[in-house]
Amino acid sequence: MIEILHVSKSYNKGAVRAVDDLTLTVPPGEIFGFLGPNGAGKTTTIKMIVGILKPDGGTIRIGGLDNRLEALRTKAMTAYVPDEPEIYERLKGIEYLNFIGDVYGVSASDRRSRVARWLDAFELSRAAGDPIQTYSHGMRQKIILTAALMVKPRVLVLDEPMVGLDPRSSHLLKEALRAHCDEGGTLFFSTHIMEVAERLCDRIGIIHKGRLAAFGTMAELQAQAKDKASLENIFLELTEK
Amino acid sequence: MSPTAALIKAALNSNFGWSAVRHRLLVQKRDRWMVPLIALAVVSVVPTLVLYVRLLSAGFDMLQSLGQEKAMLTLAVLSGQLIILIFGLFYLIATFYFSRDLEYLLALPLKPSQIMLSKFSVVLVNEYLTIAPIILPLLIVYGVKRRAGLGYWLVMPLSYLLLPVIPLTVAGIAVVGMMRLVNVGRKKDLLIILGSLVLIAAAFFLQFGLSRAAGTSGPDPQKIISLIASPDGLVQSIGRRFPPAIWATRFLHNGLFTGTGLAGFALFAGVSTLLFGVLMAGGQRLFFGGLVGLSERSGGGRRSKAGRIFRFSSGPHPIKAIFLRELRLMNRTPIFLLNGVLGVIMVPFLFALMPSSGRPGDDRTDIMRLMTAAKPATAVLVITLFMVICATLSGVASSSFSREGRKFWISKVIPVDYRRQVLAKFLHSMAIAMLGLGSATAVVLFRLHAEAGKWLPGLALALPVTAFLTSLNLAVDLARPLLDWISPQKAMKQNLNVLIAMLLDLGFLFLYGLAFIKLGKSGLGLTPVLGTMGALGLALAGAGYALLTRFALRRYPAIEA
Repeated sequence: MIEILHVSKSYNKGAVRAVDDLTLTVPPGEIFGFLGPNGAGKTTTIKMIVGILKPDGGTIRIGGLDNRLEALRTKAMTAYVPDEPEIYERLKGIEYLNFIGDVYGVSASDRRSRVARWLDAFELSRAAGDPIQTYSHGMRQKIILTAALMVKPRVLVLDEPMVGLDPRSSHLLKEALRAHCDEGGTLFFSTHIMEVAERLCDRIGIIHKGRLAAFGTMAELQAQAKDKASLENIFLELTEK
Repeated sequence: MSPTAALIKAALNSNFGWSAVRHRLLVQKRDRWMVPLIALAVVSVVPTLVLYVRLLSAGFDMLQSLGQEKAMLTLAVLSGQLIILIFGLFYLIATFYFSRDLEYLLALPLKPSQIMLSKFSVVLVNEYLTIAPIILPLLIVYGVKRRAGLGYWLVMPLSYLLLPVIPLTVAGIAVVGMMRLVNVGRKKDLLIILGSLVLIAAAFFLQFGLSRAAGTSGPDPQKIISLIASPDGLVQSIGRRFPPAIWATRFLHNGLFTGTGLAGFALFAGVSTLLFGVLMAGGQRLFFGGLVGLSERSGGGRRSKAGRIFRFSSGPHPIKAIFLRELRLMNRTPIFLLNGVLGVIMVPFLFALMPSSGRPGDDRTDIMRLMTAAKPATAVLVITLFMVICATLSGVASSSFSREGRKFWISKVIPVDYRRQVLAKFLHSMAIAMLGLGSATAVVLFRLHAEAGKWLPGLALALPVTAFLTSLNLAVDLARPLLDWISPQKAMKQNLNVLIAMLLDLGFLFLYGLAFIKLGKSGLGLTPVLGTMGALGLALAGAGYALLTRFALRRYPAIEA
């Protein structure tokens, strides 16, 4: 469902190579966890997948379609949650959800049922009629997640989605993400929380200095590492250089 | 470095982006094309500056022949301070209360007065830049024409540095007091807008009061003779309702080593220091009260009732959705609303409110009548240009992409064709421009009493030109959107794109006017001239919009939010 083929991206006219010849594939129904130290290239990769950044080279396909040549069609099947919940603060929560519903073409009846479900799950029902500027960091994160789940896309791309969420919301989100992939959807997400990646992901990729340092199931990663005790140990071993 | 000095340095650096510009130009090696463009913009201002200096020079000669050349200094100080008082209000509200960095500064072990001082410094430097092209030539021309000695050239920069302090501190005291008062209850934004309007209205009434004091309300021969008879007559007349202008005139004209000069300086500097002290002392007590109240909203407060039934849109309307988003974001952000929407409505009415009776026989009304009777084509052209300026110079279109700021990622990921996104923005900018056109039409109708035969063709010509300039202004902002701003003021009035677009608009209107006049002189009748100009406007509007959408398809993917 997501194919990243020899993708590179650099900044400062090539002085900083953020992503270097990255190739990986995430098939339908899979939860893929993308790990790496700060500045390793996770957010850059994610932003290239959703079309915010333009790769210097390589191709990204979503559902078999090139995300630059068929940008509208790939965007229509993707929902993205950024690492910083920067959304329109002057809109009310419900207005933001309606805006996303309108641009993604979600019918009013689907909107009503899905929004009600997720607002209730995230305990946001009382706040949805208030301006987003009155929300806490976690509430903003939840309203963006509600919007993404309302769209019910085939591909979910989430950049550190658990940051700012309380334990209950985090648990609900993990269940929702598992259900999304069980229904054939694809999830590509980055995280710094090793336990979440270890428990939730079907496969894991570790990016370091823009290159894929490790890739595979938990068992495959353990086979590659000397210290097989935990994902944290594997991560530290691969990224210490 | 002391905390206050470090804070001021960081605030200036952050506002003017020196570090960021250096990094972009020297490290990232981006935006280097901007350097020649800015140089070109500066060079293009030179002819206007030369014209202005000639005008000032002629003005000096005229005043000197009456023995009243000192009045030029009084006028310089007075006009500079009035400009600062009015524009300073916007800057101060935005910088004191709506900068994004305030929530971080609040957490630092700093006094309210230290934070305010750093913000005040930013506004002060901005004001020096704003008044420089108007006031500096005036002061320099005066010095050169009078063959002033070293004393004048030493005092002149000092007076320039002191010039914004009184109006800015007065505006600052008003703003801090107003923000503390309105920062209560749930309707804070509305109160901020209303409070700002009251302050702006007060500033304008002050200006009109001063204009009347300057004797612009009507010539009285007896009065003029008595003004000219006294060497300080005109100075006293202009400055009597605003004594700092007289004090500044005295120390600039007489120098610091005379009794009157020194007294003038002592008064000017003393009142500046006193007001600055009052602002800082008031800020120490009230600033956090106004500010913390604003950020308290993020703590939650009273929530809507449980079980509330939300309205959901009936179906997918991407253009309508984006249009509504633009409308809501503009109307609900006080700084955007004040600068954008209220700006286009206010500017024509300010013209209407200018001190003159409005009765037949009044000078301005008569000029319009004479012009209308003698050359109807000229009247139509003037009305057209007036309407277009009122509609397009608000900066709404030329900051349309910049206003999205760090939320621009949303526009990049939503599955809406860039052409449709631009159409929604075009429609929103045009809707605001229509308010300006409506407001300008009302002024032309009810204040200048223009006949239907003049204002209707003027409006018909203004509409397509407004559409063309809206496309042009959107393209300017799309070429280089300013997405990383800390104060909403930076996204609009301090946005270089707004200035570039304004210069381009004025350049275009100059050419449009020239074309109109050439056609008029070619022997064609009024109707064919209007028809040709109308067709030209329509063609430009169509071509402009088509080019904008093509540009959007190329430019949108390249913007990395």
